[in-house]
Amino acid sequence: MTTARDELPSSSPVVITGVGVLTPLGDKLAAVSGALRAGRHAIDTGADLGGAGESRINDFDATRYANIRGMRIYNRMTRLGICATKLALLDSGLEAAALPGEELGLVTASTFGHLDTLIEYDRSLVTAGLQRTNPAWMPLAIPSAPGAVIALSFGAKAFSITLSDGGVSSLDAVGLGARLLERGRARACIVVAGFAICDELSLAASRAGMLAPAEEFRVFDQRSRGTAFGEAAAAVVLERLEDARGRGAEPKAFVHGYAATFATKSSNIEGSLHRACTGAMRASRVSPAQVALVSASANGQLARDRAEALALVAALGETAARTPVMAVKANLGDTIDASGLLQSLAAVTALRSGIAPPIARLEQPQVPGLRYLREETPVDAGYALITSLSLSGACSALVLSARHET
Amino acid sequence: MQRRVVVTGCGVVTAAGTELDSFWNALMSGTCFIKPLRNFSAPDLEGLMGAEVDLPEADDLPEPGDHRRSRCGQLALAAARRALADAALPHGSEVRERAGVVLGTTLGSERQVGDLSERWAVHGPDSVDAGFLARCDNHSLAALVAERHGLGGPLMLCASACSSGNAAIALAYDLVASGVADAMVAGGADTLTRSIYCGFQRMGALSKSICRPFDKRRDGVSFGEGAGVLVLESLDEARRRGARIYAEVAGYGMSNDAYHVTAPDPNGEGFVRAIKQALSSTGTAPEQVDYVSAHGTGTQYNDLGEARAMKAVFGERAGRVPISSIKSMIGHTNGAASAIEAVACALAMMHETIPPTANLTEPDPECDLDCVPGKGRRARVDHCLNLAAGFGGFNVCLVLRRAT
Repeated sequence: MTTARDELPSSSPVVITGVGVLTPLGDKLAAVSGALRAGRHAIDTGADLGGAGESRINDFDATRYANIRGMRIYNRMTRLGICATKLALLDSGLEAAALPGEELGLVTASTFGHLDTLIEYDRSLVTAGLQRTNPAWMPLAIPSAPGAVIALSFGAKAFSITLSDGGVSSLDAVGLGARLLERGRARACIVVAGFAICDELSLAASRAGMLAPAEEFRVFDQRSRGTAFGEAAAAVVLERLEDARGRGAEPKAFVHGYAATFATKSSNIEGSLHRACTGAMRASRVSPAQVALVSASANGQLARDRAEALALVAALGETAARTPVMAVKANLGDTIDASGLLQSLAAVTALRSGIAPPIARLEQPQVPGLRYLREETPVDAGYALITSLSLSGACSALVLSARHET
Repeated sequence: MQRRVVVTGCGVVTAAGTELDSFWNALMSGTCFIKPLRNFSAPDLEGLMGAEVDLPEADDLPEPGDHRRSRCGQLALAAARRALADAALPHGSEVRERAGVVLGTTLGSERQVGDLSERWAVHGPDSVDAGFLARCDNHSLAALVAERHGLGGPLMLCASACSSGNAAIALAYDLVASGVADAMVAGGADTLTRSIYCGFQRMGALSKSICRPFDKRRDGVSFGEGAGVLVLESLDEARRRGARIYAEVAGYGMSNDAYHVTAPDPNGEGFVRAIKQALSSTGTAPEQVDYVSAHGTGTQYNDLGEARAMKAVFGERAGRVPISSIKSMIGHTNGAASAIEAVACALAMMHETIPPTANLTEPDPECDLDCVPGKGRRARVDHCLNLAAGFGGFNVCLVLRRAT
């Protein structure tokens, strides 16, 4: 079997210097990590979903985080993205550093972030007619709109690219952002990802039998009956290590390698994710034995979770049974575009603290051979392997560390 | 180490043609395919004009994965099929396993949402069916292509409004150049949608007749539908397997205006930065540029900003560098536009001819450039720029050059 080739061979590693999160479990990484370690989850029964679970940020008020002109006409995903970006920039100290806009790039991970605006706009055209439909909605109803607004809000002039890669969006966005920094396209790159609950999407997923009842939502568990959507946004500021050090910024994580694959008929999800994991490890020059922690994509869909577990067993080889595996979708639900970034940040926090959180409500793993965490567990320093899967069959993997491992 | 990247396959489906020969011949004749629409309408808008694609019957056959298929997906599949056939990319599983797909779209699933809106008006929430989620997932555009052709490499959907096609090619270029993938299928697709027609009408940016880029009488955009797809490979691999090479993708420049959600920077400052970065990052001197494929939408703001950018980059020579907009013939195909235009650039190099700007009869004195009015022109093209800009102000400039 061939594997993806090396990516991110960097003379100066790319690092994360700022973090912003907005989740139902908190708007500070420490608070979210504390909730994860305590095994708390945010899955509740969704309104009008026949008992299916979902996770929402109930008290979100964008004005608490950012004062952006025009905020009131932006939809929820855009507001979440703006606020997460603001938090990440503050955390990085980059706002105070007054980086010229021409040196600041943005990669936005958003597949469905425009959808509620598009639905409202188009429905109004049909029911109320052209003249009674707010024309300001149109430019906000296209897939690139959340990213365009965020770039405008923060003056990102180097580039503004939106990736709509579903569940793999944010890992792809980190991979792209790092690559563009390495190529010298900017001095700093914001990667922002978000997913807001859209009623029509939830209804469609419910009718497709994808969603589990709230009390029966579990990941990696043989009794799982489906997934649950979760609302969240996350943002990070990426910089080259030398640039970060040059302005006295403290790296919060190191980006080592990334790989992406697609599950063709001949390779299926299991084989494709295996290729992505081995590709990311090889790009990072990391062996399976050096992987201290896996932050998995498992979202409660039985077939996907099974394929992911089998791929991890294969990719980690003889170390699979002793490498801790965490899975934060058990706590936050599947936050689609934001999921890879949230998994990444939870993993880095675990590496920094030396304690990894348990997989909430996991009781009967469907695939043996992995060390699924059932309680708070000490983890060694080293590398974290992050995995992502999309509904359409794409697989991405990323290797991070909390410190500059050698 | 960076690998050199070349174009070994091209595919287009446009109102001007669905095969390379017919497409090119139609462009060179300067024929305008923007006509009264036959298969599309929008509420409260009458006499709509646009450039519709007549897909051959063979492109309309149901195939696996059709539950997610949309008009946009159909166009993407048709162009990708042509590009891969044109490239004759080997079918061996190892080759295709290391080949990926990056597609761009502005509107993607809008028609699916449009269908839902009409059902919703009658049935309310009962109109949401189980397949809606998959149909709204624009990533499935790229997945359909990868599935159909057994491509197992990176799979991305780039949504950067009307610069999506160029952005997709730029991302694919990086993946091949850095050795992450051996080949990439890259391009864009979009179709005509109610929301875009209505939105542009309300903004006063929809042409009342046909788009006239760089013309004094220009009054806005004419939309078209279509798709353009290119196969990118490393130069070494293309030579090793004896593939036909259309052109080398030398690199790209990008910038973001961060000026306004819809309006471009009137001075073209973003265009200037993207072009200058494209030239400097590829070691191309301004005087080497033989042709510029303009974004050229036919709006007052865009064309003026683009003309100012040309003057800022090329100085005294600006009026002598041929620049044209094929949107004057096939309409503005949104996320597909710059991908189709990239194909046109590759064909311009191969055929040593430059496509014209149609409908340009009264040049705007403020756009005093060599816009190649009327019909195509014989000229050797060794270096060309392909410009694109999108809502929100994201600009991408590709540099294509003759592969030597």
